[in-house]
Amino acid sequence: MSRITIDPVTRIEGHLRIDAEIDGGVVRKAWSSGQMFRGIERILQGRDPREAWLFTQRFCGVCTTVHAIASVRAVENALQLQVPLNAQYIRNLILAAHAMHDHIVHFYHLSALDWVDVVSALQADPAKTSALAETLSTWPGNSKMKLTAVRDKLKGFVDNGQLGIFQNGYWGHPAMKLSPEVNLLAVSHYLEALEQQRRINQVVAILGGKTPNIQNLAVGGVANAINLDNQATLNMDKLYQVKDLIDEIQAFIQQVYFVDVCAIGAMYADWLTYGKGVTNYLSVPDLPLDSAGTQFDFPGGVIMNGDLSSVQEIRTFNEPFFKENVTESIARAWYDGDWTKHPYEEDTEPRYTSFEDNGKYSWVKAPRFKGHPMQVGPLAQVLSGIALGHKPTVKWATKTLETAGSIAKTTLTPAVLHSTLGRHAARMIRTQIIAELAQKHWNLLVNNIAKGDTSIYNEPVFPKGEQRGFGFHEAPRGTLSHWVVIRDGKIANYQAVVPSTWNAGPRDEKDQPGPYEASLVGNPVADAERPLELIRTVHSFDPCLACAIHTVDVEGTEIAKVKAL
Amino acid sequence: MIRVLGLGNVLMSDDGLGPYVVRVLEANYECPSGVEFVDAGTPGLDLTPYLLDARAVIFVDTVSSKGQPGEIRVYERDEILKYPPQTRTGPHDPALKEALLRVAAVNGGPDQVTLIGVIPQWVATGVAMSPIVQDAVPRAVVAVVETLTRLGKPPVLRERAIQPDLWWCDAPEKFSHPAAK
Repeated sequence: MSRITIDPVTRIEGHLRIDAEIDGGVVRKAWSSGQMFRGIERILQGRDPREAWLFTQRFCGVCTTVHAIASVRAVENALQLQVPLNAQYIRNLILAAHAMHDHIVHFYHLSALDWVDVVSALQADPAKTSALAETLSTWPGNSKMKLTAVRDKLKGFVDNGQLGIFQNGYWGHPAMKLSPEVNLLAVSHYLEALEQQRRINQVVAILGGKTPNIQNLAVGGVANAINLDNQATLNMDKLYQVKDLIDEIQAFIQQVYFVDVCAIGAMYADWLTYGKGVTNYLSVPDLPLDSAGTQFDFPGGVIMNGDLSSVQEIRTFNEPFFKENVTESIARAWYDGDWTKHPYEEDTEPRYTSFEDNGKYSWVKAPRFKGHPMQVGPLAQVLSGIALGHKPTVKWATKTLETAGSIAKTTLTPAVLHSTLGRHAARMIRTQIIAELAQKHWNLLVNNIAKGDTSIYNEPVFPKGEQRGFGFHEAPRGTLSHWVVIRDGKIANYQAVVPSTWNAGPRDEKDQPGPYEASLVGNPVADAERPLELIRTVHSFDPCLACAIHTVDVEGTEIAKVKAL
Repeated sequence: MIRVLGLGNVLMSDDGLGPYVVRVLEANYECPSGVEFVDAGTPGLDLTPYLLDARAVIFVDTVSSKGQPGEIRVYERDEILKYPPQTRTGPHDPALKEALLRVAAVNGGPDQVTLIGVIPQWVATGVAMSPIVQDAVPRAVVAVVETLTRLGKPPVLRERAIQPDLWWCDAPEKFSHPAAK
């Protein structure tokens, strides 16, 4: 029995730490630990609920818009305040753009290099690579000339003795299996994705007013004045800019992202058997189609024990089934006490002890649904879509499994999605649907404005006494919910139950492991000094814990510690 | 395009220095044409879009360095990239180095990169900066102005300064760092 600790504790940053017990080259037990206390919610107490979203969007510098939207939804829910249709559509377009951006960045820039060996790409023949690409996609960026340029650029990095962005990778690791040609193609798309990231960010900038922190949101609607003939407002010119950008990003998503995930998935088919973990899934509906939040373009629901026939749908922004069944446990987290409480009743009193395998070991609380750990994220969302017969989900899931299956020369069923690679596939499937729905909501917005409706805002009124509200959003990393208690127009309590808390949370009072912990069990580890396989499974969740602070360490030379005992 | 990017989290006391400096800068100076002042928060790798079309960038951020809190450290591109970025396990590790290397791989990115860093005293949940880091704000603003001037884009003092939009500091101090009391 040996133990690996992957602990990027360098300085004052908060981080994810993973501990794993290895026996016979396989993980037997794992611990997921958040290494920094935040408790940012406490800053909100006593403030004006109309301004809460400004603060919550600073919870995380990457997931800015998602915390803004969950916050205004929570306050609107507390007041039972409806929002005008234009505001829903504008919000939906911002959310869709943010999600496409986030998923592309996650796949290409944060996780693809777990599977793609950059150094191997140097050996590739660009002509062969281009020929291979032609069998998979009509994307014009896959020309021999382009791929030769990418290879030469890579070679330049190596000849200069520095790999730049590709410095820290497990190159040459025995778990890397792709041919040099596939590696070169993936590196080329990695670079192209950077330009796509810039494009899609412009959609958020146009509609949100600013990025990365949007300014056009308000409790009760949005702050984008609509006047098709006025340069200073949201006008036809800007709407067509948005449309062009959505068209371009959709082409990349369909012709490149789809193909890459299918091909890499097919070539690592054994990873469809690792990383399953917790198969209880939670997702919430999103992209509302009406003012009250009772009709949605994306369904959400609860699935227990991987049994799709068990699905229970979450239908509206007022859903009691959701509201009543979320709790958080601090039995194994560094807070004062050992309670399990509903978010409205929680407090956040830090009490650090030490890392105890059988005691407290994380700053992350353990959220539970009806007492069960739940996996959240695109996989949960896609599975509930399939279970509920959501046509776009069924269409894209089927197409993905067929395409990957034909490359791997096998038949793939939705059962393979309960895995490390299944999470990547589901994220891509969701991105395809979002791209289509972004088009739809652009049309809904333009048609609604054409009808003469320019309404964007209903003013919130805060009665005396106490109101409670919750707002959820199916964010890129999964179900996000904000819970607010308002007393006499001021915030009395605020809690955010975030996707990475659901997934990265520790055990609870019943010793039930969280999704990261459960998913690592059974993973192979070829080289304990270079635990690439563990990184693959953790990355497949798109972890997001260390976003709160930032201080740059220009002079530091420390690197993340991987300790194998 | 030249961008001044204030980095940091305004909910984490001294870490909010970058956005604070940008807000004070825009309240006191006219932004020259071809220059953008951006309160960029903590974008991690999402910094990349702000670098792709820029010929020069000036970062303002807190830095980890030997020295006293409140001291200013200025770094140029080569110094920032002298040591390789740390291994990344999540998407949110400070990604300044990574973002610079990423744009370098695509189109070269900005030729001129300056990081105006301030050594923080405390970084913990709260909206108030430590007094010593607060005192460094005017010096950091001057450092940005000097850098812009060197880049041929001297910002002009506003005839009448406007109130900086420091919305996070306005509301009640329900929770501030113990050292602030």
